[in-house]
Amino acid sequence: MKQPGPEKVLREQKIDEKYWENWEREGGWRPVGWKIVEMNDGPTLNDLKPEQFMIVHRPHADFYHHSYGKVSKFFMGLLEGKLYGTKCPKCGLVYCPPRAHCYNPKCRLQETVWIELPKKGEVHSYTVMAIAWPSMAHLQPLVGAMVRIEGTNTCLPMTMRNIDPEKVNIGLKVNIHIEKQPKGDLLDVYATPAEEPKPPKRTPEELKRFREDMEKTLAWVRKTFGPK
Amino acid sequence: MSKKVGIVAGSISRFDNPRHTLQEEMCAEAVKMILDDVPDLEIGDFIKKGYACCYSYFSDILEQQQCMHWIIHDYLGLSGVPAFRVESGGATPIDAVVNAALWIRSGMFPVVLVVGWEKMNELPIQKVNEAIAIAGDTDWDFVSGFTYNAFYATLETRRMHVYGETEEDLAEVAVLCHNNSLDNPYAQWPAQHGFSKITVEDVYKSRLISWPYRLLECAMTSEGASALLLANEEMTKKLTDNPVWITGVGFGTDTMRPGDRPDNPAWKGLYPEDEKIWPKTIPRPLSPYPDLTNFGSLRVAARMAYKDAGIKNPRKEISLVEIFDPYAGVVLAGLEDFDFCKRGEGKKLLREGVIAPDGELPCQLSGALTAQGHAVGSTSIAQVVDVYWQLSNQIGKKWGAPGRQLSKPKRGFVHGHGGTGCQAGAVVLEV
Repeated sequence: MKQPGPEKVLREQKIDEKYWENWEREGGWRPVGWKIVEMNDGPTLNDLKPEQFMIVHRPHADFYHHSYGKVSKFFMGLLEGKLYGTKCPKCGLVYCPPRAHCYNPKCRLQETVWIELPKKGEVHSYTVMAIAWPSMAHLQPLVGAMVRIEGTNTCLPMTMRNIDPEKVNIGLKVNIHIEKQPKGDLLDVYATPAEEPKPPKRTPEELKRFREDMEKTLAWVRKTFGPK
Repeated sequence: MSKKVGIVAGSISRFDNPRHTLQEEMCAEAVKMILDDVPDLEIGDFIKKGYACCYSYFSDILEQQQCMHWIIHDYLGLSGVPAFRVESGGATPIDAVVNAALWIRSGMFPVVLVVGWEKMNELPIQKVNEAIAIAGDTDWDFVSGFTYNAFYATLETRRMHVYGETEEDLAEVAVLCHNNSLDNPYAQWPAQHGFSKITVEDVYKSRLISWPYRLLECAMTSEGASALLLANEEMTKKLTDNPVWITGVGFGTDTMRPGDRPDNPAWKGLYPEDEKIWPKTIPRPLSPYPDLTNFGSLRVAARMAYKDAGIKNPRKEISLVEIFDPYAGVVLAGLEDFDFCKRGEGKKLLREGVIAPDGELPCQLSGALTAQGHAVGSTSIAQVVDVYWQLSNQIGKKWGAPGRQLSKPKRGFVHGHGGTGCQAGAVVLEV
């Protein structure tokens, strides 16, 4: 028998430990304010009476140190600007998201091997987010696409850039990019059109509504974050 | 031994946002209604006579509490009584009902109380979205910038592309659900927005969330609780003279990540009839069913429940349906996955009025997730309660709206699921 540790740090992007320590302390459950409200309540709308409630504002902060396990190579690849997937040597299925073990029932959890993937793919389905993550709200309306990377048997969800939301469609060929300064998660990956998009069929009413929705979304972004 | 499982009573403490009332207090309101309906049930019997409890809530993050069910159980005066919580995202409450039914069938417990709840107003709404979204794969789905809204939207876009569903179909589903909820005194939509009917135009006016979905086509975030008292045949007959029976239960699963479904080797050839239905103009994935168009877990759960209940032709044999519809398109997909029609034809049942309140197969009579509300751990239990009240002819009494009671319905079907259809459950109820 051997002991597995201790771990050796090979490369590191250091964190500001003092900042995060303080951040965690501030998110320490003690109320930072409160209010007392009156509202009708009861188990049914036929049975309501006024009640008073006290509400405390209680922050709670978490900070995880997460290992990407045996698929770490995908994320290490992002740091080098490369896209990796895994391939099952038995059945040939190619995974991105990668799996360290093949899930084809015939392959009995066979260990997979790493392969480099082309930065090309096709839109399997898409949406236009008018509500994205808070940290991405300034990018709304934001196209999200399930992208089948060339040669893979999976779709990877990612956002798209340089695309008119009105024109994105299923079947669109895309180029896949990795952020110049990758942070080390899937959000480092995004797609752009690799061909002139052929928009989906919309009735005149649908198109009018779609354009109004985009305009409303953009107006909110301008109001919240200032003009681009 | 009889394998019959009876519903003795069911109750809801209404959905709203905010409720401000504590989880244990909402649960107590619901359980108190059951005690009022079943005078022969004593809380002290649970420990003395070997009954059990099964609890349902989804998120420790939303509640800011782990093991919340220990608080509920204690609060109800049940300490000592065998109990545990089930948790599987949105499938949590339907799994609790399935689990309780299987406990009774095992012969281990003659009576089981199921209680479910959720609090969804205590985090800011973006954080609520996040708390829900981390039920998706946090390395590979969530950190793409997609919320659940966005994932379900990509599933619906696929349905529009492959089947020709339209924005109008989605809006019509939302109209059906919202207007169905208007007589429901447990529903959140009328509690917040009053008692007037809405139209397709109102849906179009509601803000875009993630195209093609708009606000009124998405589940509400809610607070509320519900409870069901289940028992074996002997105890059911002792405790009530108006029983409804759970004659079929089922549950199924699909991949964690929806992106893995189109070529999933585990599904290839499982449903050949459905695989045949695929447009020639669209590249055919390795596993054309479910692809992203349908929910395979719903199919597995429904067929298991039908087999269990001895149902051969669900469209003819089932009188009413409650579908777990976090987004409007799930109603249309569900109709297909539950064998009420062929894949791609869910929109036909909607357009032809089959699922309208006066149609052959009324669906979402409660208003379901977009209008009754979606306090996750309570949702499917409440939907089972709504169908139970219809089957036991209690809508007049429980809703105060006798006009909404269906005429002698025989059989109801309720389904629930979690994630993007990662796990699903179903029950068949029968008079």
